[in-house]
Amino acid sequence: MKSPQLENILKELHQEAYHWSRQCCSFDEDLAKDVLQQVYLKILEGKAIYNEKSQLKTWLFSVIRFTAAEWKKKNKNIYPLEEEFDAAETLEEVKAVSHDELIERLPERQKEVLLLIFYHNLTLEKAAEVMGISIGTVRTHYDRGKSGLKKLILKKQAYENARQ
Amino acid sequence: MKMQDNNGDEDLVQFFQEMKEEDRKIPLPPFPNQKNPKLWYLIPIGIAASLALGFLLLPHEDQVPSPPTEVIIITLEEDEKNNQQIRIEEKTYLETWESPTTSLLTKF
Repeated sequence: MKSPQLENILKELHQEAYHWSRQCCSFDEDLAKDVLQQVYLKILEGKAIYNEKSQLKTWLFSVIRFTAAEWKKKNKNIYPLEEEFDAAETLEEVKAVSHDELIERLPERQKEVLLLIFYHNLTLEKAAEVMGISIGTVRTHYDRGKSGLKKLILKKQAYENARQ
Repeated sequence: MKMQDNNGDEDLVQFFQEMKEEDRKIPLPPFPNQKNPKLWYLIPIGIAASLALGFLLLPHEDQVPSPPTEVIIITLEEDEKNNQQIRIEEKTYLETWESPTTSLLTKF
């Protein structure tokens, strides 16, 4: 794909790309902007090459996810230990928090799968491509994530009802 | 490819719908304009060329090996009584230099 054509498609996907970048950066807007800038540089300088095997959106999302993970690793030098586990059942009440804060309580991969499927309207197969994991693993994270988020939403609603 | 069937997940669909609506209020960063990208490639080339040129134009001074400051000359000489004596002298390098053809002049 030629550079001007690629640039035009990137412009069209800019809004979605920015929101995905925010979601990959734990909703830190400044970090999300830096990551997205880095992603565009990688693409326009030819360091990240689109091989046209997958959809451009899927490819772009995987580059954003990878770049955000690189930045997190570089800046914090820690790995999320909870990646493979279910959300911890905390005694802490789910108070009236924003949607961002609520989904941020889920383990990283469950959060990513739910966002890719429900927010960005990707299929399980495309989500697996973006995350670089098997469809079976995605399905597991998807089921666990849904169940975890439903519980959090119910807790939040219960808290809000109790306050009224 | 079929989209994911989200039946029974209405609460989640609604949750993400609300989230999207909230996100629409967030101002988007501008898409970066690619300003003359070819110019950026020229910068490192320019720096490398100037360094190479500077290196070529620098006057190269050949290092002259410095002579040893002092030499010790040990000679075996005979005195008037034909006794052999060892004489040790310390001289500077220049003082001890002899032309390689001196011996030819004295012998002929």
